[in-house]
Amino acid sequence: MTERPGHSLQRRLLFSMAAGFAVLLILISILLWTYARTAANRTHDLLLAGAALSILERVSVGSDGATVDMPYSALEILSLNPVDRVQYRVFVPGKAEITGSEDLPFPANGELSADPAFYDSDYRGAAFRFVLQGRRLNAPTGAEWVAVQVGQTVEERAAQQWSFFLSGLIGLGALSLIGLGFVWVAIRTSLSPLRQIAGDLRLRAPNDLSPVNGAPPREIRGLFDAINGFITRLDQSRRLTETFIADVAHQTRTSLSALQGHLALANDAEEFDAMRARVEKADSQADRTVRLTNQLLANAMVIHRSDQASMHPVALKPLVRDTLAESLKDSRMRQIALSLEDEGIAPGRDVIHGDALSIREALRNLIENAVRHGPADNTVTITLDEAGDNLRLSVDDAGPGIAEEDMAQATERFTSLSDRTKGSGLGLSIVKAVAEGHDAEMRLSRSTLGGLNVTMVFKRIAAALLLVVGLGLGASEGQAQTLRVYSATDTPAMQPLIEAFLATAPGTEVEYVEFQTIGLYQKIRDSDPDAMPDVVISSAMDLQVDLVNRGLAQRVSLPVDASPPGWATWRSELFGFTFEPAALVYDRRAISDADLPANHRDLASFVRTNEAALQGRIGSYDLRQSGVGYLYASQGSLQGPQAQRLIEVLGRAGLKVYCCTSQMVEAAAKGELAFAVNTIGSYASSLVQDIPHLGLHFFEDYNLVMTRTAFVPQGARNPELAARFVTFLLSDRGQRAIAEKTPLIPIRPSGPAQTEIERLIEENRGTFLPIKLTPALLTFLDDLKRQDFLSGWDTSLGRLP
Amino acid sequence: MRILLVEDNDELAETIVDRLRAEGHSVDREADGNEANELLRHINFDIVLLDVNLPGRSGYDVLRSLRARSDQTPVIILTARSQIDDRVLGLDSGADDYMIKPVDFRELSARCRVLARRRSGSASNLFTVGPLSFDRAAKRATIHGQDAQLRAREVQLLEIMIDNLGRMLTKEEVADRLYTFEETPSMNAVEQLVTRLRKKLEGTHLVIKTARGLGYMAYVSDDD
Repeated sequence: MTERPGHSLQRRLLFSMAAGFAVLLILISILLWTYARTAANRTHDLLLAGAALSILERVSVGSDGATVDMPYSALEILSLNPVDRVQYRVFVPGKAEITGSEDLPFPANGELSADPAFYDSDYRGAAFRFVLQGRRLNAPTGAEWVAVQVGQTVEERAAQQWSFFLSGLIGLGALSLIGLGFVWVAIRTSLSPLRQIAGDLRLRAPNDLSPVNGAPPREIRGLFDAINGFITRLDQSRRLTETFIADVAHQTRTSLSALQGHLALANDAEEFDAMRARVEKADSQADRTVRLTNQLLANAMVIHRSDQASMHPVALKPLVRDTLAESLKDSRMRQIALSLEDEGIAPGRDVIHGDALSIREALRNLIENAVRHGPADNTVTITLDEAGDNLRLSVDDAGPGIAEEDMAQATERFTSLSDRTKGSGLGLSIVKAVAEGHDAEMRLSRSTLGGLNVTMVFKRIAAALLLVVGLGLGASEGQAQTLRVYSATDTPAMQPLIEAFLATAPGTEVEYVEFQTIGLYQKIRDSDPDAMPDVVISSAMDLQVDLVNRGLAQRVSLPVDASPPGWATWRSELFGFTFEPAALVYDRRAISDADLPANHRDLASFVRTNEAALQGRIGSYDLRQSGVGYLYASQGSLQGPQAQRLIEVLGRAGLKVYCCTSQMVEAAAKGELAFAVNTIGSYASSLVQDIPHLGLHFFEDYNLVMTRTAFVPQGARNPELAARFVTFLLSDRGQRAIAEKTPLIPIRPSGPAQTEIERLIEENRGTFLPIKLTPALLTFLDDLKRQDFLSGWDTSLGRLP
Repeated sequence: MRILLVEDNDELAETIVDRLRAEGHSVDREADGNEANELLRHINFDIVLLDVNLPGRSGYDVLRSLRARSDQTPVIILTARSQIDDRVLGLDSGADDYMIKPVDFRELSARCRVLARRRSGSASNLFTVGPLSFDRAAKRATIHGQDAQLRAREVQLLEIMIDNLGRMLTKEEVADRLYTFEETPSMNAVEQLVTRLRKKLEGTHLVIKTARGLGYMAYVSDDD
């Protein structure tokens, strides 16, 4: 109990209730105070108004002008208030004083009228309340206003206000105290089940791991179940540990006894040869004991690590290669024919979510098993291949293998099937534990080489994946924060940007995982909140809007100087950071610059006129494959009927479709295409710049522009770091990095145009039509709408759906 | 060979020292990191066996300052920790090999021999193993005193393999060292070259082992 004593729930509840009551009392007092003032004012204002009215009644017009006959009742009314001082004045505004104190203050915006106007003002050092009322009289000189001003000090009304206020407050205070009393009673009653649980647990013997009994109220049922669940797990874990310890104790003691026995016998031996034989036995027994200990430790480590968050994206190919190269150093491996078959997997497609250390341990144990149980010139083949979304790692050997009927038993701890080699029986159980820790399937079968085949089937991480881990300064302190970015943008395009960010954020690491747009969308849509990355980046604006519309993003407040233009942000959650116009890439040898169509209508007629020459030589996106292609095309269709006509014309000219801009540019470079429409301008520009016969063209009527967007998902582990990253993307520094170090174009132009495409954009300013980040983008994501659009597209292209 | 063993556990040190001396090596032993560091400043050893957990100064620190002095004495790290991070740390800091305790004496001796061979192979001009002699300066190999009749490429390959005794080289690594940038060799050519050399080395104790899909490793067969 050296810790700070925990809060008392009861006291906390009581204090918070009391604080609540206090706040309530203060609020009510403020209301009460103003109410009391209004009430006091109203009472006394009536007196003032009565007095003013009775004076006004007596105002008349004589030959000398207006005059008044001060009625008695006027001041008598006022004296109903026994304390306060009185002042009055009757006058013709701007003309003549009739009677009373001439220097009474006039209201600031005093407009004389027939209705009484009340106001507070100081007069000769005392607070006064006045009424001002006028009356229009018909004088011989014409209509004339006569004003009456009556004032009274405010002592009595202040006293009355206080008395209203206090009596109200006393009542409320009493009520609050009674309420708190009830709260206290209620808290004590409802907390009693907790005391009961505490009592139950306190009286328990340490080895009593039976569930806590009782019928808890609904509110603490969760806690109650959690405690019981924990007790059950503790019980299971303790039993497992007990078995394990018992096994370990048995195995090591047996092994050590044997060793000790051999050594004792050697010690007692009379003859040298007998002693030597014993020592040799002791030596091999020691060898087995060492192996046993190593494997026990490995087993414990593997189990321990599978409990922990030591899982990271791991590329299997280099891991397997390193492990094998390492094991070949062992002189026992000299005669073993070890080979690796991993040609079936392209680099980058070998990534799983796993723990490198455990997988290495498993592989090493499998190889060691083959070496130990097989002949000295055993053949061991390690195969790494893919099957759908899975990666298979298998180890085959030409040893004696395991009989079918023993296979199920072989992976149990401490079952060594071979008496001859006296394995510890842990090798395969380590492999099994690793497989279980990785959610991988493990299969034993007879190998085509004659011996055992052990196959582990891992789940590959979706799509291509690359890890860019940058270590900033001081990262070795162990406090490095890792920013996880899931992105549908080529890694080479993002890497310089990430490096620029890391330079501004020392002690940070970035884990960058690359996806295709649709894969990323599905991954985020179906992810648990705890499995969310910190930042999601994609070029598919519509899919990003859909994710944000599902409430999966959180707010990021950007500083004013790092805000994107209005069209490229939505709900302060989704932000565009690049400017990517659709562009036409053309082969100068096929179309001269003078023939280039100025607008989309001209393009249609150009294609129609030259249909024969262009047959099969026009390229564009395959809308079924590419999210960006679909976005450009669907948004283009909103620009009027000529878009539809254009598609039909292109269809007649045998439009070729491609997955991506790079392939279109490549085809154009080879002379296969005369031109390609709707390429991503930024990429196309960087690809085109080295090929002199290719050009980039924008239209005069409109050029659609999309933007790459980023958001921070709900459940991001490092939301602050993520917000910093998003802010960085849009900051001057980030935008400059985009302009200078990546093929992308920043959304906020910084400085003069430097590249060819930036110059073109500058020249065609005004023709760019940004696609706005709004829920309207969801229209074309609608299933029916999408099918409709795509089948229309198919028909135009003369394809059968 | 003159070997330095840096190990603080007396029992273990004694057994290793006895074993290595029985094999005819001259062995010095240090138990403290700082003292080992001082000793290494002044005396040259053929091989250093270095424990990681040492009083005074950790094995890695000793190794780092050794390499900082551009001393290329082969070092084998002995460690009781089996986590890979430690190993990488050891190899990054310039260790030539590492072994996990408890070490098998035969394996330890074998690794020492490999390292010694590798060093003598690249440090001196004459490399001899069994009947095979290779004169690095003259680029000439003899077997039983007879010229082995190696072609230029085969000599180059032999030299590469000797420099990397006991170390796995991928086919690409071999090709990179054999051919210049312009030559762009086929992997087949490398395979054929290895096969030819292996044939010519038959009967010597230098073996070039092929691990399919992984690469090549040369070792001396009577070392094990």
